[in-house]
Amino acid sequence: MDELALIIEDDEDLANIFAEALRGIGYEVEILPDGRVAQERLRTGTEPFIILLDMHLPHISGGELLTEMKQEKRFEKTTIIITTADARMGEMYRDQVDFVLIKPISFVQLRDLTARLKPKQ
Amino acid sequence: MKVFFDRILNVPTSDPDDTRRRRVLNILLLGTFAAAVLGLVGILIAGAVAQVSEADFRVLLFGAVGAILGTAGIYQVNRRYSGRFAALLFLLMLTAVFSVSDSPEQLSNGRSLFIFTIPITVSSLILASQASFLFAIISSAIISGLAMSIGQPINIFAVIGFFMLALVSWLTARSLETALDELRTINANLDRVVVERTEALAASLERERIEAGRNQAILDSIADGVIVFDRRWNATLANPAIRGMLEIPQEMIVGKNFRELIDHPKLASKSRHLLLAMVEHDTQPIGFRVEWAGKTLSVSAAQVYNDRGDNIGTVIVFRDFTREAEVERMKSTFVAMVSHELRTPLNAILGYAEMFKEAIYGPMNEKQVNMADRIIKNTQRLLGLINDLLDQAQMEAGKLTIQMAPVRLSELLDNLHSVMDKTASDKGLKLVSEIQDDLPAIVNGDATRLQQILVNLVNNAVKFTDQGLVLVRLFRSAETRWGIEVTDTGRGIPEAEIPHIFESFRQVEGTTTRVHGGFGLGLSIVKQLVQLMNGEINVHSVVDKGTTFTITLPMVTSTELVRNWRN
Repeated sequence: MDELALIIEDDEDLANIFAEALRGIGYEVEILPDGRVAQERLRTGTEPFIILLDMHLPHISGGELLTEMKQEKRFEKTTIIITTADARMGEMYRDQVDFVLIKPISFVQLRDLTARLKPKQ
Repeated sequence: MKVFFDRILNVPTSDPDDTRRRRVLNILLLGTFAAAVLGLVGILIAGAVAQVSEADFRVLLFGAVGAILGTAGIYQVNRRYSGRFAALLFLLMLTAVFSVSDSPEQLSNGRSLFIFTIPITVSSLILASQASFLFAIISSAIISGLAMSIGQPINIFAVIGFFMLALVSWLTARSLETALDELRTINANLDRVVVERTEALAASLERERIEAGRNQAILDSIADGVIVFDRRWNATLANPAIRGMLEIPQEMIVGKNFRELIDHPKLASKSRHLLLAMVEHDTQPIGFRVEWAGKTLSVSAAQVYNDRGDNIGTVIVFRDFTREAEVERMKSTFVAMVSHELRTPLNAILGYAEMFKEAIYGPMNEKQVNMADRIIKNTQRLLGLINDLLDQAQMEAGKLTIQMAPVRLSELLDNLHSVMDKTASDKGLKLVSEIQDDLPAIVNGDATRLQQILVNLVNNAVKFTDQGLVLVRLFRSAETRWGIEVTDTGRGIPEAEIPHIFESFRQVEGTTTRVHGGFGLGLSIVKQLVQLMNGEINVHSVVDKGTTFTITLPMVTSTELVRNWRN
């Protein structure tokens, strides 16, 4: 079974690009374009292997989602990657997540990074 | 007593000479009057004890009463009518009395001759200086007439004596009058000078009043709030505009100490600290902002010096900056929003172009890959420009801050290589870096901004170098300073251009902007960032040999860092 990757990103194009990068190397991808939708998904669904988390989201911010995830043990094994255009905000959360990528995020860069994270099959 | 005598004796007139004469006449009249009264009393006593004959008694009685009435009448004339006329009457009376006061023999040639000297000398004093001659003539005529009436020769020596005395009296009175005249002239001059000086003083006071009034009018009509403080920071002056700014009435400000004034509920506490720091450190900052009563005020302080150069206090000008601050906030929000909104679609363009290049949706030919590559490069360039503009806007608004944290120097260089290696190798250049041994592995700094400085400098070096290498060196410049050096083997910067290379929107030779792309903001941003980090940047360049940019930065120790954080 392919590892599950959640892409929490409100920009449709970026979500698509990230999804293509991850699908290309064998992730199963789920796109969540809204903070509230993402919150629902995170509370109820299975834990993903990777989460790409945009900080600037409609309704509920990435920061809030992150805080919520950090309180739950079931996300312990999940690799969380923040994707943000705001370098300052990225710095603020650097200690709490595995990676911080500052937009613009290169397709190749993301693909290579997530490929490295994927367990050898 | 003196007042009483003054009232009796003085005859107020406008001519001081006349006043003097009439006063002397009054004194003589008073003396005569007193003598006559005494005489009358003596006569009455003598008459009572029958020491004198009936005829003598009557003559003496009439004489005394006549003298009393005469002096009283003359006194009235002197007082009310004319001093000279009164003097003439008095002298004539005196002469008349004298001429019957003794036997004709004694008067013309004997013991009583001298009494005629009295009207002669006195006349020059109380009537006119030359009047002594008149009374010399009268007296001579009387003694001559008396002598002739008793058949004696005229006493020619007495007549000559009278005229000599008249001459002396005349000269004395004349010189007295002349002296008094001169004194009056001097007095008049003095009076004129006093009047002139008084007028000049009044005029200058008036000018000063007008000047002060004008200054006050300027102060009153100025839109900025102005408070003047003395050396002890007590408010001595405030203009009406201050009321609208601080919401304290003007009259409530004057007399208050600065510390009392800023103890105001509508002053934000951070602003209070800024204002307090200004007083405590006695600095004169220009245009710092405070939040007071819901307004943003720009505060400028300047020391006031008097003509001698002594510091006499401080003037503080408050300017309402609310609108400008609002515009600035809107501008920086706008810039941040625009740059975010621009970056997101550019990221999408970049991503899709990469996907083409990586042949995600099927194989691509070489031309297509090449085209995708160009899209990527141009998008990256556009992103770089947006970042530069955003930084520039933030720095202009004073919003760009330096956030210190431990930075691993090797990581800094690794990141630089990952970003810039390809750019350099695309131009056939080599990017080389080294860290000097005596540098600690970790320094305190703002990693993002240090990275930005390195990328900007290396990018710049690559842009202007056609062959050779770009060398980045991190070194220790002093005990508490470290440095970054970026050297290239490029074309160099002409000496005349060096002073301008850190200016915004500028590239060497002005027109090259189009050739090399960019806004020319890179070096300007680097310089501003270095300054924000309390560092220095220098450039050394030789045309056709290369350029070296050297930056030195303070090496903040951990304890210092902690202290700064607490502050």
